[in-house]
Amino acid sequence: MPKLKINGKEVEVPQGSTIIQAFKAAGTDICHYCWHPGLSVAGVCRLCMVQIEGMPKLQIACNTEVKEGMVVNNQSEMVKETVRWGLDFHLINHPLDCPICDQAGECGLQDQYMQFGKYDPEMAEPKVKKHKVVDLGPTVMLDTERCILCSRCVRFTDEVSKTNELGIFNRGDRSEIGTVQGKPLDNNYSLNTVDICPVGALTSKDFRFRQRVWYLKEADSICPGCSTGCNVKVHYNEEGLWRVKPRENKDVNGYWMCDVGRDTYKFVNLKARLLSGKVGKRGSWQEVEVADAARSAGLKLRETPAEGIALVVTGQYTNEEYKALFDLFSGALKSKNIYHWQNNPEKVNEFDGLLFRGDRNPNTKGLQAAMGTFGRWEDLQSGLASKKIKTVLVAGPENQATFPDLKEKITLLAQAQSLIWLTAGHNEALDQSGADTWQIPLKTYIEKAGSFTNHAGKVQSFKAGTTIVPQALTLTEASEIFAGRDLDWNLRPRGLGGPKVNYTTGQRGTL
Amino acid sequence: MEIKLLSEHYSKPEYQKFEGYKKFGGYEVLQKALKMEPKAIIEEVKASGLRGRGGAGFPTGMKWSFLPANGEPRYLLCNADEGEPGTFKDRVMMEKAPHQLIEGMIISAFAIGSKKSYIYIRGEYNDSLRIVGAAIKEAYAAGLLGKNILGSGFDHEMDVYSGAGAYICGEETGMISSLEGLKGQPKLKPPFPAVQGYLRKPTIVNNVETLAAVKYIIRDGAAAYRKNGTEKSAGTKLFSVSGNVVKPGTYEVALGLPLRDLIDKVCGGLKPGRKLKAVIPGGSSAPILTADEAMKATMDYENLAQMGSMLGSGAVIVIDDSNSMVDLLDTIMHFYKHESCGQCTPCREGTGWLSKIVHDILHGHAQVKDIDLVKKISEQMMGKTICALSDAAAMPAISFITKFRSEFEQHLNKHSHAAGAAHA
Repeated sequence: MPKLKINGKEVEVPQGSTIIQAFKAAGTDICHYCWHPGLSVAGVCRLCMVQIEGMPKLQIACNTEVKEGMVVNNQSEMVKETVRWGLDFHLINHPLDCPICDQAGECGLQDQYMQFGKYDPEMAEPKVKKHKVVDLGPTVMLDTERCILCSRCVRFTDEVSKTNELGIFNRGDRSEIGTVQGKPLDNNYSLNTVDICPVGALTSKDFRFRQRVWYLKEADSICPGCSTGCNVKVHYNEEGLWRVKPRENKDVNGYWMCDVGRDTYKFVNLKARLLSGKVGKRGSWQEVEVADAARSAGLKLRETPAEGIALVVTGQYTNEEYKALFDLFSGALKSKNIYHWQNNPEKVNEFDGLLFRGDRNPNTKGLQAAMGTFGRWEDLQSGLASKKIKTVLVAGPENQATFPDLKEKITLLAQAQSLIWLTAGHNEALDQSGADTWQIPLKTYIEKAGSFTNHAGKVQSFKAGTTIVPQALTLTEASEIFAGRDLDWNLRPRGLGGPKVNYTTGQRGTL
Repeated sequence: MEIKLLSEHYSKPEYQKFEGYKKFGGYEVLQKALKMEPKAIIEEVKASGLRGRGGAGFPTGMKWSFLPANGEPRYLLCNADEGEPGTFKDRVMMEKAPHQLIEGMIISAFAIGSKKSYIYIRGEYNDSLRIVGAAIKEAYAAGLLGKNILGSGFDHEMDVYSGAGAYICGEETGMISSLEGLKGQPKLKPPFPAVQGYLRKPTIVNNVETLAAVKYIIRDGAAAYRKNGTEKSAGTKLFSVSGNVVKPGTYEVALGLPLRDLIDKVCGGLKPGRKLKAVIPGGSSAPILTADEAMKATMDYENLAQMGSMLGSGAVIVIDDSNSMVDLLDTIMHFYKHESCGQCTPCREGTGWLSKIVHDILHGHAQVKDIDLVKKISEQMMGKTICALSDAAAMPAISFITKFRSEFEQHLNKHSHAAGAAHA
């Protein structure tokens, strides 16, 4: 392990590390755009310049390997002046449209210019005109004038997604990122290019123009989109969640996540959610307090003889919730009729080679470990047909879009006398249920703490990020109520502010 | 003044074809070389003091010795992407004597143990491509290329490759990228080509003239080769002389010849009534010399470096008092803006910026302080990028505005559009 000195501070790094990695390890600031830990070295932004004792010229930290005893600094006037000018070279043809640019607030150019910049622009000539609003594909929009040609996105599609859609066309200051004619940027990892774009050149069609990022808060979580369990952060404000972005975890997802996973904020937001308890059946629904709905459902469960109860459960809940639910079932209710609802059994073992898996549940492994063996679906079907099974409790899909058989299963389970359906989202098919039905709203992954066990058996804990539907229950809370106990309602989290009203809109033009 | 070593037979049209080349001793040196130890050839080249004739002037023998001493396949690439404005000697060499190059290349390939070589020819050089291609066919037919050359047991394949007209592909790693089928952009170093070049294998890239000279070093021996030139700049060199001289053209002279003699005695001097204003001694990227400096300069690597310029590819551009330096710099800056590959930010943005400012100066849309800005920008472009194109643009800019500042100022005073000045 070679040792080197960075700005006078001694640092030890693994053999083969580059100077920029040593800077990162030491927590020392260094300006850079093109270098990214998950991609090959391009060495083109020329901003990570450092002075190495014994070398006459400045060197780029990203392509220089650390050698024992190196003395490196990026604090000399020579380095600082080079970085100042380097930033100005980046900016001379960059449009000053920060006020309408989605990247503003999380922009590499803005941030690094504030920290290292020259503050004295001398460019008076007209800027180079390039293509704007270039539709790259279904997910990404490109503004080539904002692009600083760091080539991160090109390297991503070459090296990580291996889809090779992007390239740099033309030369010199006319260079532009683009796709080969007729071949859009269309792969399940395309939005990573937006994440690694240090400027506002690549923007997500889903997110652009929707929020200013400085109004968003951030919370760490685990993506519930499939059994890989990518580490993510979600961005939210008082109106709800706006986007999901990957969080580095070398053991699970590296620096990336798939585009499918990025949609996992949609089913969390108010519009998709069940907001109160609903009791009744087709044509005669009554909206009731969540607690009341849960209490009466619990009563029904406890009234039904053990052999007349069945539990249907999906792989979308936390290990802690499974434990509470199964304790309730085998304990208080003394039932063994537990059935695993697998959404797409034929695809469970599929894998795209990078991150995305065919098992579209975050915790199938955890469910299997908590329960051990499950009942057979045929027994459930015959039990329902013969009316032996009278009350069915369903811990239904949280992310309903991943359950293609949702409607079919509702029809099947509604054969029971009583159907208690725990669900985060509202569901039109369920509204057609002919059984005596309880719809009880559940919390989603971002609203609760717990852990998921991913495909490889890795248990990943996460904390509650925010609360969208405060009155919704977790499975643990629901199990408590079903068992006949009560919750301390005062301890439960409060909700967000809800949709924002722009009070000035109506006054425009009259001021 | 002229010393015709490489160019001895260039005036004979039959020298272009295999039979004619044979008549004047062609491929005899190859027979000699194939009987030598490869190491001995490298030593001979080292001893000759031969330096790269493409521009950088790096000692050829030393470059060859950077190759790893293992059995890995290695490539020899001939850089015939002659793009430096003012240079046209490689074209003359390829069109007058393609076999001379081929013979030099087979000897060099034998020395470094390469079984495959390419001649990367500038895209615009259609004739060179055709002539060299035909010569390679002739060499194959005569058993001088292919398996077991002249019974020596040495195999070697050779091919030509046409560039597409990018200046940057004359940079050795840019050329390698292009040859690999990638966009012609220089690669990060390290790794250097001698360790990891074409197809990530050890690769030597040499200029046409360098490889052709190897033949004469082996023919006459290092000592004889050193008789021409100076201690550190040994041998002869072909100079492409253009601009305001009576007889522009390609001339082979000994290194170390006074520039004054090259202009006056070899090229017939300036046109009557004209006064020398400046000389670019080594292609458009070499810092310009004033008339006074030019009269003192000698054409070798050391002297020109001492004078703050460089020998480069040996492209001498002679400028008399009928030319505007502002106009000239505008042309040069436009060239580098056009040819920057666009990878490194200081070069991509800097060349464009410089071109715009100098263009504004030329058309009177600038102020005197913009002349200083040209210098500031240029200084920040030097030594900051992957390859030397950024420096190649910055060096002429700095030298023009430093040495001819009064002319730039006068130009601005005369042409300034008070109302339309870009910098109010």
